[in-house]
Amino acid sequence: MEEWTGLLQLAVADRGGKTVPKSVYFQGAFKVMRPIYHSASGQACYYLLNPGGGYVDGDRYRMDITAEKDSRLTLTTQSATKVYRTPRNHVYQEANFHLKGGSYLEYLPDALIAYQQARYTQKTIIRMDPTATLFYSDILTPGWSPENRHFSYEQLRLVTEIYMDDELVVFDHLKLQPALHTMDALGVMEGYTHVGTILAVREDITQDVINRLHEELITSYDCRIGISRLSTAGFTVRILANQTQVVERVIGQCHRFVSEEWFQEKPSFLRKY
Amino acid sequence: MTEYYLPLLQLCDSNFPTGAFSHSYGLETYIQEDKVHDRESFVEWLTAFVHEQLIYTDGLACRIAYQALAQQDFETLWTLDHKLNVQNLPSETREGTQRIGQRMGKLMQSLYDIPILTDYMDRIQKKQSFGHPSIVFTIVGHHLKATSFATTLYFLYSTCSSLIQNAVRAIPLGQTDGQKTIQQFHDELVKATESIQQLEEEDFGVVSPGLELAQMKHEHVNIRIFMS
Repeated sequence: MEEWTGLLQLAVADRGGKTVPKSVYFQGAFKVMRPIYHSASGQACYYLLNPGGGYVDGDRYRMDITAEKDSRLTLTTQSATKVYRTPRNHVYQEANFHLKGGSYLEYLPDALIAYQQARYTQKTIIRMDPTATLFYSDILTPGWSPENRHFSYEQLRLVTEIYMDDELVVFDHLKLQPALHTMDALGVMEGYTHVGTILAVREDITQDVINRLHEELITSYDCRIGISRLSTAGFTVRILANQTQVVERVIGQCHRFVSEEWFQEKPSFLRKY
Repeated sequence: MTEYYLPLLQLCDSNFPTGAFSHSYGLETYIQEDKVHDRESFVEWLTAFVHEQLIYTDGLACRIAYQALAQQDFETLWTLDHKLNVQNLPSETREGTQRIGQRMGKLMQSLYDIPILTDYMDRIQKKQSFGHPSIVFTIVGHHLKATSFATTLYFLYSTCSSLIQNAVRAIPLGQTDGQKTIQQFHDELVKATESIQQLEEEDFGVVSPGLELAQMKHEHVNIRIFMS
């Protein structure tokens, strides 16, 4: 048996138009509250808690999330995930998402903050039915350090794989190693400090939908945004910025756009503080 | 052991018609934004492209493909082809690379009779594989009995010499500056090939945020001479 610092297993199912917990199990430093229903849509919203207050040396977290047929799930965090220095072993987080036919998952975690000498590896595997819908996001930010230098963390490595009917359709691999790279250089972070990523997959996403979203994303924020069609029906957005709020605003804009496009709904405000 | 020199040289010739002259891999975005405007800034971009992207994708793919060919482990080749395609998130770069791979494959087929290349092209025809230049090139390098190191190095050279020719046209740079850049990259490419030997297979597909974002932004560059 592998040892996990925190383990969460959550399955939700649709019961007559309302998404309800089917099974919930957690142990160690991972926890979820009871689901909250922000709107009349029946979509369940779970807040993920890390009672330990942050990830430290050698911590290993795992979550297995299943959205059963036609269920609708929002998964978010209660606050930012902080990764502190890892002198001996990197922090590892594994997430496995299963999206069954007609289900919807929106994964909207707060930023990950990597402090001085932090090493963090994240592996996310999403297995989805071709009729399921995914809106996935993440935000990487450097933590404050005594010398007030950005990029004092050691390494962030994020691998995201999306499988549709067991076929790999998206593979994303980010690896930032500030000690080995000139982060400001052309082609790397180009003067920005924060990275945001969105992966959206749904069978009716066409180039026209992506173009319309692109039009909406032309903003006056200080950031750099790229958007592109995936090799499966879907799109990705990559954001470079200097503030968490700017990345959140862009992700929020995209989330609003797809909520209206897919469900003719305005997304609920995820009240946290 | 010198029999492969001239055949590989032929594949690296910038006149070798693979369509690579139509693709800038995001360089054109930087040119339009005036971030790449002379030899110095171009070298900065190309250095990042080679060391932050190419070695983890096409470069590592050459090494993995060569080993798979040596072991006749063709399933690994097909998995690699699939992974090379789906890890390439900017659609223009993904589709452009696929087109170059297919064109290079066809051309190689008319120059060489290699059973595994025929299998690869059949799979592409049947849409079981996408087609990628690093795999086509490695099949030929392996067939010519070039070493894995030489095959990877020549492949990187062919990619970079096309990009340098593209920069000469697009920035524009003088022909002499172009040649100086190629010469300057001799050492860089040997270094890159050495780095590739040190990589773990789990390093496959690492992208650099800035480079990738520029490749995505190219889709919306207004006046363009390149398709990616």
